[in-house]
Amino acid sequence: MQQTVQFSDSIGNAAEINELLRRYGVKFGIYKNGEFHEQFFPFDPIPRVISADDFHKLEKGLAQRVDALNAFLYDIYHDKKIVQDGIIPEDFIYISSGYLAQCEGITPPNRIYSHISGIDLVQGKDGEWYILEDNLRIPSGASYPLIARELTRIACPDAFLIHDITDNRNYAQLLQETMDYANCGGIRAILTPGRYNAAYFEHSYLAELTDSVLVQNDELFVEDNILYHRTYSGGKTRIGVLYRRISDEYLDPLSFCPESLIGIPNLMEAYRSGNVGLINVPGNGVADDKGIYYFVPKMIRYYLAEEPILKNAPTYLPFYEEDRKYVLGHLDTLVIKDVAEAGGYGVVFGRDLSKEKLADFRDTIIAEPRRFIAQEVIDFLDLPILDEGQTVMRKADLRAFVLSGKETKVWASGLTRFSRNPDSFVVNSSQGGGFKDTWVLSH
Amino acid sequence: MGTISLERSDRLYWLGRYTERVYTTLKALQSLYDRMIDRNVGYDDYLRSFGLADIYCSKREFMRSFLYDRNNPGSVASSLERAYDNGIVLREEISTEAFSFLQVAKDTLTKSEQSSNIRLSLLPLEDVLFGFWGCIEDKMYNDESRNIIFVGKSMERLDLYLRLKYPFEEVDKEFSRLCKALRRMPKDTPYRYNTRYLSDLVEILGVQEEYQLHSDKAVTSLGHLFEVSA
Repeated sequence: MQQTVQFSDSIGNAAEINELLRRYGVKFGIYKNGEFHEQFFPFDPIPRVISADDFHKLEKGLAQRVDALNAFLYDIYHDKKIVQDGIIPEDFIYISSGYLAQCEGITPPNRIYSHISGIDLVQGKDGEWYILEDNLRIPSGASYPLIARELTRIACPDAFLIHDITDNRNYAQLLQETMDYANCGGIRAILTPGRYNAAYFEHSYLAELTDSVLVQNDELFVEDNILYHRTYSGGKTRIGVLYRRISDEYLDPLSFCPESLIGIPNLMEAYRSGNVGLINVPGNGVADDKGIYYFVPKMIRYYLAEEPILKNAPTYLPFYEEDRKYVLGHLDTLVIKDVAEAGGYGVVFGRDLSKEKLADFRDTIIAEPRRFIAQEVIDFLDLPILDEGQTVMRKADLRAFVLSGKETKVWASGLTRFSRNPDSFVVNSSQGGGFKDTWVLSH
Repeated sequence: MGTISLERSDRLYWLGRYTERVYTTLKALQSLYDRMIDRNVGYDDYLRSFGLADIYCSKREFMRSFLYDRNNPGSVASSLERAYDNGIVLREEISTEAFSFLQVAKDTLTKSEQSSNIRLSLLPLEDVLFGFWGCIEDKMYNDESRNIIFVGKSMERLDLYLRLKYPFEEVDKEFSRLCKALRRMPKDTPYRYNTRYLSDLVEILGVQEEYQLHSDKAVTSLGHLFEVSA
């Protein structure tokens, strides 16, 4: 594989670009001690650069992976052949919190379950890309590199004159096409929990760019299994596709969590009747569970009869006795992940634990083997970032966005997040990480 | 996509009101500031117009409070925060570009607070507000949504003009503008006027002498304009 091209030069003045991001309200929200805080997402002006050859391989590998995951989701909510054929133990299906019995037998339009998939990858120092995680529920983050590109082109036009960079500003068009392909007849809408959601900027920005109506639950109702938007003149407008940005469990209080105040009663009936397309559909959590991740290469072989193009990080499942023995014997060198956690939480590096803590952790793994996966720590490529005028190296990952409509397309960009802490592998924005533009070279 | 919920219409309306409140308050304070420079003019009339008590030790303290104090609900800063709060949930309706003017307005006001020449430093804020409204005109293709903003804007301006007892000619022009915007509101919406209160306004604001005698009653009628008829 061709080594990723390294650009250590800044493409412009970080302060200018961050000022533009501030001007356009590019923010994310976090809750600290029960209080909502809105923060600007720190942008680093040194881009991550992916060569055309590298992206070509990524593109094929990511589309292959998402196609297999969509096939898996159809299978799991219908015949479950993959379980019957002994490829995946049923323990990993039915006790996953992402498996929703309420979705059994439902076939979404065109059999697409994950329309927007956020696949997290890292690149090793040998240039190899490794998949770290699949996000098939409501992956967020595409709006940040999208608007950052728009603004960096204003702040530093020369950079785009000198380098042959694929224009990534087609994301809204890809999203709109994806939404239209799932549309069951009616307008496009994006459902947000509201202003105080961490990703509210993204919800409103994508609604603007896709010409969708941004809605909250109290503006919607289901009548005769059809989803409507209630208008201020007392009328109603049919919604044909709903890109929902709230979690499965809160989506419909009559089907899931009855305490939900942000859901839409009977939405599941409208969906089940084929009267509204949901993006992404409920129940996808069963396929992006950290435990299921281990089986994705097997899914690719099983459903597509192909060899996986992209590798998983070397992963062990303590659920299997052989793996458990290995994990317990190498706990101090592995990274352990709690499958129920997300956002960088529940990730423990064995090397950071004291002897006592390691012993406690060992007991926990023995008691609850299904709860954890263990991975080798990948020595992944550090990327240069500007820190108070100095270039320093930091850990970074890449969230690639795969859109499944008439075709499965990989967006020629992505969200590169980096850790601002020199000793940390955790890149999540909620834990202080920043982001940078991701350039895919045209040739 | 052309479908407006009740919540959204409320946000649009108040976005219009608060942005106009920023502008008219700013203009009124600048005019007062000018008069206070070299004339024996105080700010008590201004406070009386809004039924507020004088809790200020000096003209400077009064002026800074009504310009910059976010905790003073009558201040430019407070109205701008409310405008921003409405704008942030209307990004997809008004456009990211229009919304950015609200951030720039906030930044301009914050910068002005540190300036030794208040009036000069506030001039760019007027430019930004005109930029915002120009952007609304230019970027919003949904006539109905845009009209709600301008109904709110016009309502707010008329309300402030009446309270501050602006000259009849200016009030008359603003009332005509409001009536035009109201005529464009579809039936069965919350912004369809109540005929009784509109008639009251026509009666008071149609004749200069009536206006001078009954401007307080006009403020009350304006406040009831969107109430559903009994």
